[in-house]
Amino acid sequence: MLGIVPSATLLGVDGHAVTVEVHVTDGLPTFTVVGLPDASCREARDRARAAIESSRLTWPVKRVTVNLAPPTVRKVGSGLDLAVAMALLVASEQIEASALEGLAFLGELGLDGRIRPVVGTVCLTEALGEAALVLPAESVDEARLVGGRRLHPVESLAQVVACARGLEPWPEPGPPARTAAPPAPPDLADVRGQPLARYALEVAAAGGHHLLMLGPPGAGKTMLASRLPSILPPLTDREALEATRIHSAGGFGLPPGGLVRVPPFRAPHHGASSVALIGGGTSLMRPGEISAATHGVLFLDELAEFAPHVLDALRQPLEEHQVRVARAAATVSFPARFLLVAAMNPCPCGHGGQPGGCRCTDGARLRYERRLSGPLLDRFDLRVEVQRPSPDDLFTDEPGEPSAPVAARVRAARALAEERGVRCNAELPARRLDEVGPLDEQATALLLEALRSGRLSARGLHRVRRVARTVADLDGAPHELGLRHVALALSLRVDPHASVAAQAVAG
Amino acid sequence: MSGAALDAELGAAAALAGLPGMGPRRLRALVDRRTPGEAWAVATAGHAGRLRLALGAPDDVGPLARAWEAAARGVDPVGVLAAHHAAGVAVRTHPAVAVGPAAPAYPACLVEDPEPPAVLFTTGDLAILEGPRVAIVGTRRCTGTGGGMARELGRELSAAGVHIVSGLALGIDGAAHRGSLDARAGHPDAARPVGVVGSGLDVPYPSRHRDLWATVAGEGLLLSEAPLGAHPAGWRFPARNRIIAALAHVVVVVESHAVGGSLHTVHEAIRRDIDVMAVPGSVRSPAAAGVNQLLAEGCTPVRDASDVLVALGLRRGRRRAAADPRPVPSELEAAVLEAFDWEPATLEHLAVRTGLALPDLAVALERLVADGWVGTDGGWYERRATA
Repeated sequence: MLGIVPSATLLGVDGHAVTVEVHVTDGLPTFTVVGLPDASCREARDRARAAIESSRLTWPVKRVTVNLAPPTVRKVGSGLDLAVAMALLVASEQIEASALEGLAFLGELGLDGRIRPVVGTVCLTEALGEAALVLPAESVDEARLVGGRRLHPVESLAQVVACARGLEPWPEPGPPARTAAPPAPPDLADVRGQPLARYALEVAAAGGHHLLMLGPPGAGKTMLASRLPSILPPLTDREALEATRIHSAGGFGLPPGGLVRVPPFRAPHHGASSVALIGGGTSLMRPGEISAATHGVLFLDELAEFAPHVLDALRQPLEEHQVRVARAAATVSFPARFLLVAAMNPCPCGHGGQPGGCRCTDGARLRYERRLSGPLLDRFDLRVEVQRPSPDDLFTDEPGEPSAPVAARVRAARALAEERGVRCNAELPARRLDEVGPLDEQATALLLEALRSGRLSARGLHRVRRVARTVADLDGAPHELGLRHVALALSLRVDPHASVAAQAVAG
Repeated sequence: MSGAALDAELGAAAALAGLPGMGPRRLRALVDRRTPGEAWAVATAGHAGRLRLALGAPDDVGPLARAWEAAARGVDPVGVLAAHHAAGVAVRTHPAVAVGPAAPAYPACLVEDPEPPAVLFTTGDLAILEGPRVAIVGTRRCTGTGGGMARELGRELSAAGVHIVSGLALGIDGAAHRGSLDARAGHPDAARPVGVVGSGLDVPYPSRHRDLWATVAGEGLLLSEAPLGAHPAGWRFPARNRIIAALAHVVVVVESHAVGGSLHTVHEAIRRDIDVMAVPGSVRSPAAAGVNQLLAEGCTPVRDASDVLVALGLRRGRRRAAADPRPVPSELEAAVLEAFDWEPATLEHLAVRTGLALPDLAVALERLVADGWVGTDGGWYERRATA
């Protein structure tokens, strides 16, 4: 009187195989679930009972024990519902055990017996190995991305039982729905004028340098950032699958066709909590926005309005390209390899960049500056002033340079970085800078002067040299760095905390 | 009157100035026809009726009477005076305040003032106030051009023997004082700076100017209406501005927003028939809106220090400017300088105006900054008129 059915559960972005064992024996009618289930998993009893009765099957008036093995892995969510119901039907001898040989089950049950999709189908399918998979019809496109196994999309519990009893054949998935290509990301041709901002985007994309845009309201910072995916290289197969797994596990929604091919663009609001941004949660360890932005762009508008502790939580993933989230129940690590683009006003009134333009009190300015910690600011290799485009540019009929040629230059620069053995120049280790980006005499003199005058810190020096490497790559100078490259790299790294007043007394 | 009696009166005057909410008008009312000692007794008795009579105040003075009584508890006026003397701060009272015949000297230029400070705290030599004096005031949020102009005026006027009076605030004020100190570093005969501040002389404000404050105190004269330990409350700054105006023969406004403290100083100067001059700014610069308004109303413009010296009667005519010591910019660099149009600009503005490629423009700007033709600040560049 035992039913054993394989299924899987999700922890973070990893699927874990779970064996659902149901034992039915005589005794007072009880229903016990053991093996580290969470609340929604425990509720499988109520859903399974209603679904079984709605499907004209019998709920055993007996002593039922459900064991979810292995007992060390926490089971989360409703994806085990269908497996529990099937194991129960086997244990209560309503289905032959042999009928389910070599089959795994995924799916949430509705009270009327319908089978609903579950979050993280991609990761769960991977965890189930070779077994043929019975799963909700709506999830079949996601599961197909993994490949290498038979899939049986089903609509209801009654249908599954009919197949198991041999009354119907197991359904096969139809041909993949022919979907339109995913909508192209917004194009740079829409941006008029703004040559510096456009160039900063190109350098950011080519070198993987994090970018901070400073400027008054209405300067088009959001518009610029949202065009970055159009010039980033498309994801490789491996990157696409990784991004897809995260989107699937986090319930972020997949594009038509399933696979995330275009670099994701995530723009969380500045009210976001640290869990929303970093990932976690009490039992359902879900990836956050920074993981959803993996292989794409994380855009933080109004950077200074984010809670300071939320921003500081970004520092570790920025360095390690992954984020570890530890909770009492479990510790998981999520990929978090993203290009950080942020925008902020230089001060609360928004006009503080221009000397003499600010109307804020000293206190208000100081409080605003303090919201952004030095270490975080330091991680932006590129920090540029973005100004409103001139009215003449806005009314011209001539579109800006479209994304395609920019993307081609970005790809060429990335190819140079790959010859150096890194994904992009931002990842060049400091000790290799002399080898891959030697400085000519004038460039060395300029950097020395910048260090001496305190304009550049020792840590900033490496960052400027990496940016100069990218600038030179885009300038068609793949070897020695000249004055023009270093000078431009320095100009692309303004200090938003430079005080207007301090400058005045120095003048 | 004995020395002890004088100390008791001066101490009472200093202690009175330290009571909470003690503005210049209240203090004058309290010591009008009373010695400071008597006024101290009235103010700290905690009796609202007596206080109302003493201040001539129609409003409810009950909370004030209680606050002053509480603040005076345990305060010994003679000890207050000793603390000031120990810190090298002189306590000076207006000649109309009856502290006795041997009262310390009081600045002559403030005696006839319509709103003279009843009590002044000073460090440094009061004799400095006998020479010609110019107040240089302006916005705390100045442009690099404005700050540079204030520093240049401070330097050249000091070198010409004119004392610079200012408020030691951020921006124009501090730049003017730095200019004066530059001149003194070059010529020991140069005139000395005079700082008028809104907090106690041991409470440097803004804290960023702690060093400047100490240098001005060492080289020149510091004045305050507030006793040691007084914090820079907001109401003290307008009161401070009237003293800056009262101490000057000419008030020069370098940069001012449409509304701001420097316009208050201008107002106080006009009340006292003191000449006001203004440095013209770009009509597009918000930091010059105030000065341009003054000029539109008929104020005399300042192009350089010789305009101020002429106004002071120290020089008959303008002198020709000396040759510029900076290296001559190349043709390309000159084109970049032209593109500024004397307004702050970002790399992007300059790229659009010159049509240069970004790397070439960056190199030109680095050279111009290094040679002193251009100042830079957080992504913005400004053309500089002088080295």
